[in-house]
Amino acid sequence: MSVVVIGLSHRSCPVEVRERFAFAEARIPEALQALRGAGIAEEAVIVSTCNRVEIYAATALEPGPAFAALKQFLLDFHAVTGGLNTELYALAEPQSLHHLFKVAGGLDSMVLGETEILGQLKKAYDLALQHRHTGARLNKAFQRAFNTAKQIRTDTNIQRGSISIASVAVELAEKIFTSLGEHEVLVLGAGDTSEKTARALMSRGARGVVFANRSPERAQLLAAELGGRAVPFEDWPAQFDRVDIAISSTSAPHFILDPPRLEPLMKQRRHRPLLLIDIAVPRDIDPAVNYLENVYLYNVDDLQTIADDYLKLRHDEIRRCEQIISEKVMVLLTPQNLRRQ
Amino acid sequence: MILIYAGRVNWFTDRHWFLLAVIFYGLSTIYSVSLWRRGFRKDNRVNYLLLLAGFGCHVTAMGLRGFSLQQCPVNNLFEATMFVGWAIVTAYLVIGLVSGLRFLGAFVSPLMFFLGVFALMPALDPPHGPKPEFTGAGVSLHAAFILQAYGAFGLAAVAGLMYLSQEHNLKFHKLRAFASLLPPIQRLEIISARLLRNGFILLTVGLVIGVIVIGQHKDGYFTDVKVIWSLLVWALYLGLLVMRWKFAQGGRRFAWGAVAAFAFVLLTFWGTNLLSPLHHHP
Repeated sequence: MSVVVIGLSHRSCPVEVRERFAFAEARIPEALQALRGAGIAEEAVIVSTCNRVEIYAATALEPGPAFAALKQFLLDFHAVTGGLNTELYALAEPQSLHHLFKVAGGLDSMVLGETEILGQLKKAYDLALQHRHTGARLNKAFQRAFNTAKQIRTDTNIQRGSISIASVAVELAEKIFTSLGEHEVLVLGAGDTSEKTARALMSRGARGVVFANRSPERAQLLAAELGGRAVPFEDWPAQFDRVDIAISSTSAPHFILDPPRLEPLMKQRRHRPLLLIDIAVPRDIDPAVNYLENVYLYNVDDLQTIADDYLKLRHDEIRRCEQIISEKVMVLLTPQNLRRQ
Repeated sequence: MILIYAGRVNWFTDRHWFLLAVIFYGLSTIYSVSLWRRGFRKDNRVNYLLLLAGFGCHVTAMGLRGFSLQQCPVNNLFEATMFVGWAIVTAYLVIGLVSGLRFLGAFVSPLMFFLGVFALMPALDPPHGPKPEFTGAGVSLHAAFILQAYGAFGLAAVAGLMYLSQEHNLKFHKLRAFASLLPPIQRLEIISARLLRNGFILLTVGLVIGVIVIGQHKDGYFTDVKVIWSLLVWALYLGLLVMRWKFAQGGRRFAWGAVAAFAFVLLTFWGTNLLSPLHHHP
């Protein structure tokens, strides 16, 4: 009996295709039962997330017939007519196990190294286990995959650093301020990224958030949603003696903040550190303000560069992770281990 | 100082113990270079243990010297430097009990190595002649308070250096600022300011004790080079504290102030000591 996998993921097809084959959680036990009932698999686990739909099966069939049967099962279960060709990948041992370990370690995720997939994989496995659709082969394979994911997380840098603009901004704030709980955030303009950044800062404990937008309704809506306050757009300079982090994303065609305007505001603030995040294009804040003491200005490119550097750091770790995975898969497939299973 | 026990010469003297301590500080400095390059992320425990081993030898050296003199060993530049170093390492070893702050050792060890090598220069530890004119608990207290103050100023300068390094990386958008384990710059500034304030209090108490114990019995006390220099240092640190609290001159300027003030102390402490008849006993 060997472990095979077939599936679709963000790498092989767009969401329009994946959504047609997604399994609702409530229907997964029924699907697993059907797989085993049809004699396609002795043991099975179905993983269905927004980025992937995969069936892991321990089967007595040869890989070729097993892939054909699993593919047909997918089409029949979702009542999809028409073929599945390049969208579907099918892997037999040892590649199937290698793939499982990579998925668990976040190496196959859209955001390299992310940990959410491990939780989703554990949930899918637990569901199959609860309904007794797993046995010695898949139990061992999944448990080893979870252990390997943990080892990858501790022994490599695959999950290190922030790789989105919002999370880099939060990390930046935490490098400047002792505790975010003592600092308020000002959001100038209400673009999507600035809103996400404000949300991320609030979720990390920022004391409060103030929205100043040319459209007061939008500012009030966001303030109500995030538990902050809205102020008229013209009043934003008056907020500078209270806030320590300002995110700007207005559509102004010129700088709205420059050294002559900021200098007196810094005096009012008694030169407390001020983090300025300029997400607007064209930029809202004159880069020269970064030369003022205790002012830290980051624009969208600066944040993106840091996120990219982190991502590069993660990519550099892929080889180390693959090495760990290969070793673990090899151990799992040793004759002694297979006999025990 | 070579010790003689029951007619036998003990060749492993307090200076040898201190040399051993400096060797440990040196090893720790070499190790710190790799920690700096890795952003203080790994094996800070090794550095802590190296500094702990150095501290053990350091304390032994101070103990031997103190027992042989039957008083706090702060009678010449070697002893004074050893005492300042002891205050700095003690503070670090206590702070380093918190694993998240253990990386501070990478900043402390180069300072200790520098101080140690300096203290070991033979000219700083001449053989003790006749007993100093002023001895006793008051003098020991005076010296102990002042040297602990310099220890606090040393640590404030270390925190200032960390601030300057991290602030520079943040200003210029370096990935190092994110990858490093250094605390937030705001916390570094607070630590530096508190150390400076505490050092200033210790220095004030030490100087007041000096005036009470020695100043009242000695003509020309207030014209002694070291006394004038000490008052200058006191005024310098007072100025720094006032600038920060009254005129909000924190951040980079304050950090530079803490570093520059301690550099001034380091560079002039020894010279003024040699020029002061009150503090130098040939």
